[in-house]
Amino acid sequence: MIMRGSLAIWMRDMQVLRRAIFSELVAVVAYPLTIYLAFGIGMQSYIGAVEGSPYSLFIAPGLITMTAVNAAYNESVWSLWFHRRVQFTVESYRVTPISVSEIIIAKICTGFTHGIIKGCAVGLVIFAITPFRFPIEHLFNYLVFLIPGSALFSCAGVISGTVMDKPETIGKVEAVLVMPLIFMSGLFFPLSSYPPDVLPWVRAIPTTALFEGARRALVSGDMSTLHVLQVSVSAVILFAVAVWIFRRKMAE
Amino acid sequence: MPVPAILTKSLTKQYANLTALNSFDLEVAQGSIFGLLGPNGAGKTTLIRILTTLMRQSSGEVFIDGLDIRTEGRRIRSMIGVVSQENSLDRYLTARENLVLHARLHGMDRKTYNRRIDELLELMGLSARQKDFPDTFSGGMQRRLVVARALLHQPQLLFLDEPTTGLDPQSRRAVWDYIRSLAGSMTIFLTTHYLEEAEQLCDRIAIMDHGRLVALGSTRELKDRLSGATVYEIELERDVDQYETLLRSMPCVRDIGVLNNRLQVTLECWECLSEIVTALNGAPVRSISLKERTLEDVFISLTGAGVRE
Repeated sequence: MIMRGSLAIWMRDMQVLRRAIFSELVAVVAYPLTIYLAFGIGMQSYIGAVEGSPYSLFIAPGLITMTAVNAAYNESVWSLWFHRRVQFTVESYRVTPISVSEIIIAKICTGFTHGIIKGCAVGLVIFAITPFRFPIEHLFNYLVFLIPGSALFSCAGVISGTVMDKPETIGKVEAVLVMPLIFMSGLFFPLSSYPPDVLPWVRAIPTTALFEGARRALVSGDMSTLHVLQVSVSAVILFAVAVWIFRRKMAE
Repeated sequence: MPVPAILTKSLTKQYANLTALNSFDLEVAQGSIFGLLGPNGAGKTTLIRILTTLMRQSSGEVFIDGLDIRTEGRRIRSMIGVVSQENSLDRYLTARENLVLHARLHGMDRKTYNRRIDELLELMGLSARQKDFPDTFSGGMQRRLVVARALLHQPQLLFLDEPTTGLDPQSRRAVWDYIRSLAGSMTIFLTTHYLEEAEQLCDRIAIMDHGRLVALGSTRELKDRLSGATVYEIELERDVDQYETLLRSMPCVRDIGVLNNRLQVTLECWECLSEIVTALNGAPVRSISLKERTLEDVFISLTGAGVRE
């Protein structure tokens, strides 16, 4: 497959991001930082230590991961919807000698890039203004989770942006599916809080593997191969599904 | 014999219970300006979407420059330019950046596309606004930018889907002038609701309705085909009713209508005119003029006067 089309569209998306990088970062940093201040600082004295760490440090890795995957999802879903339904630019791409797969790959890469950039931005801010610290060598292990995790959410965003024609539906899916998946995967509490009967089901969800694995990787340097595989395989499957759905939608 | 620019054979497109295209046969010669007319829902958009590879046919064959649309989509897209109904410009990119993106999608190298973009911006009168975003452009300027984008990679076949819809008369004429200037250098396939536009620009015109081709020919041929009848308008000083009765009784008069002091007389053929002149000997005739059939007359006669959903 020639990837010229993907590269051209991705470069276009990066050009647009570069223009608005400051306002994008301000907006993206504000939300997790507010959560960190409200829960990490405000509630810390009431909650105490979780799994041996102060609560503020327990939630910090999850907030960085949440920012990254949220950014990946949001960029993919809104970008695809906007280009398909508002600007009709997807139509203009499709009458050039590129394939439908190249368009979808570009949009997934864009969502993924947004996720990585915005996750890093939040990480730097948390690092700068809070006592949260981690050994720098753990960063590589963390990225092993963050990269497929962002790709996973980017693919999910592409599917939503392809299937849904109304913007309000996109908002509903985010509220009903995406945010619960993120919040229930141990972002604000340890997985041991779940009843034993429920826990295996929760662990089977790729977002749980992502948040749990990423936290351990960043804080203690643990590298759970099972978690990495769970996230990576889910990303590959969702990528195939995203391409298939987009192709079908475009053929309608 | 040169390969036709567009050839469709028994082209059919079925959406559930609706047949949008029904065994549609069409041949468009290389280098011509071809117009496609039809009321709303006639199947024009479906046809153009299939021809531009955006949609698959249910059955039948389509060849663009001899290439089968089902197997040679990428090659076909590299040689066509498309001006769609919607402007589909990227509002987050400047005019020039819109063109650069399109050039990259076509795999053009930087040196070639920069030169070509300069040429086209100049030609379209957009050079001074190349760093502005399309949102700030008038409708006419946006349309010119879309046309420039479609021409950037020097296509052999240009599809113009209602290219002047929503434009003021000046902008419309500017687009017409440009289309005329392209004549011969590429094949142009135009759909429009403006019959004057088709009449002004097209070498050949097809009229379609209910997914079928109902007429094909030059403007002249279509008008002639409307009927063998010729319509004359006779203006009388007085006694209009008396002469209406007289003419109506003549076998060569097919139909007659009255509007104020004017009689609109439809003759079986133009040779009947001498009989009419003889019959009107001594009548207070102020003028007799041939009433030209318009393309709109042809269109309405073939597709009906009722408003389509």
